[in-house]
Amino acid sequence: MSYSMALPGASTSQQQQQQQQRPFFVPALPSHHTPQTPAPPTPVYPPTPAPAPPRGGTASVAATPRPLTLEQQHITAVEGIVPTLQNIVATVNLDCRLDLKTIALHARNAEYNPKRFAAVIMRIRDPKTTALIFASGKMVVTGAKSEDDSRLASRKYARIVQKLGFDAKFSEFKIQNIVGSCDVRFPIRLEGLAYSHGQFSSYEPELFPGLIYRMIKPKVVLLIFVSGKIVLTGAKIREEIYTAFNTIYTVLCEFRKP
Amino acid sequence: MASSQYYEFYRGSSIGMALTDSLDELITNGSITPQLAMKVLMQFDKSLADNLVKLVKTKTTLKGHLHTYRLCDDVWTFIVKNPSFKMEGNDVVTAPKVKIIACKNGDADTGKK
Repeated sequence: MSYSMALPGASTSQQQQQQQQRPFFVPALPSHHTPQTPAPPTPVYPPTPAPAPPRGGTASVAATPRPLTLEQQHITAVEGIVPTLQNIVATVNLDCRLDLKTIALHARNAEYNPKRFAAVIMRIRDPKTTALIFASGKMVVTGAKSEDDSRLASRKYARIVQKLGFDAKFSEFKIQNIVGSCDVRFPIRLEGLAYSHGQFSSYEPELFPGLIYRMIKPKVVLLIFVSGKIVLTGAKIREEIYTAFNTIYTVLCEFRKP
Repeated sequence: MASSQYYEFYRGSSIGMALTDSLDELITNGSITPQLAMKVLMQFDKSLADNLVKLVKTKTTLKGHLHTYRLCDDVWTFIVKNPSFKMEGNDVVTAPKVKIIACKNGDADTGKK
């Protein structure tokens, strides 16, 4: 599928950027496609955890204060558990005023009820996502399960708007939030965790059954449930989800219910 | 749409077409004025909408693949592929495609293609 849209700046793929920034002796790491069984670090890597080149395009540089070390980047699946990405929210600027009524009338699978919400709600089936399209030309795309899907879906929406006769560009694509989830497969003493990690935890079982854990580094919010199910949100790049899970896993083991 | 206004789409139904034809004939042979015919048609819009709500209690369930939906100006449009309608008498009606137009009002209603 080819999208012949004007692509100012942001069009260079992340892979290409990484290729340019990576020193020649560092082997290419699997970046956005999680291997099912991640291999342990091989001796090819530098012996000391050298600061790694910035990864994941411009977004990662802005989102993380310090580049992740190679160990952190490598998705060390604790006990074979790797968080599954459940939702990715991205924004795009189509850089063109839009007449939402025209869009609602001519596009398929669109809803527009200005009395309720000032945007057209549009859905596509592949990748299964929903877009909120505003008259300013800004767009929010939600529901994708991977970065690539999110980008592809955003391009498809931009193409749809373009086909309706607007001069839509595809600019300022940015992933704003990534949500992941997983199951550590053992029950957790939330009270104990809340008590000893009081600085990060908020546990009000009368309000919400899960413990809300606001991790500082990486800046990710975790919902931890007695059952051992975990939801991780607030990340801008996939690696933050993995790092946050690895960090919390060691803590959770301490508070495993006997 | 104001509550005093009624949708005119029932004029396209067979009963509406029959009424329009009859009124046309009456106008042509000079029995009624076009103004009166308009009045009759407006009453028809109102009566049909009101009575569908009041008198029709039959229900049907519809299952199929929702190919397209749209909401604009308080009008929902659905195109359902391979629908099967289950009527109250347990008989099933199928079609390759059906278009449902649903308008907002106390007298909600559907037009079928």
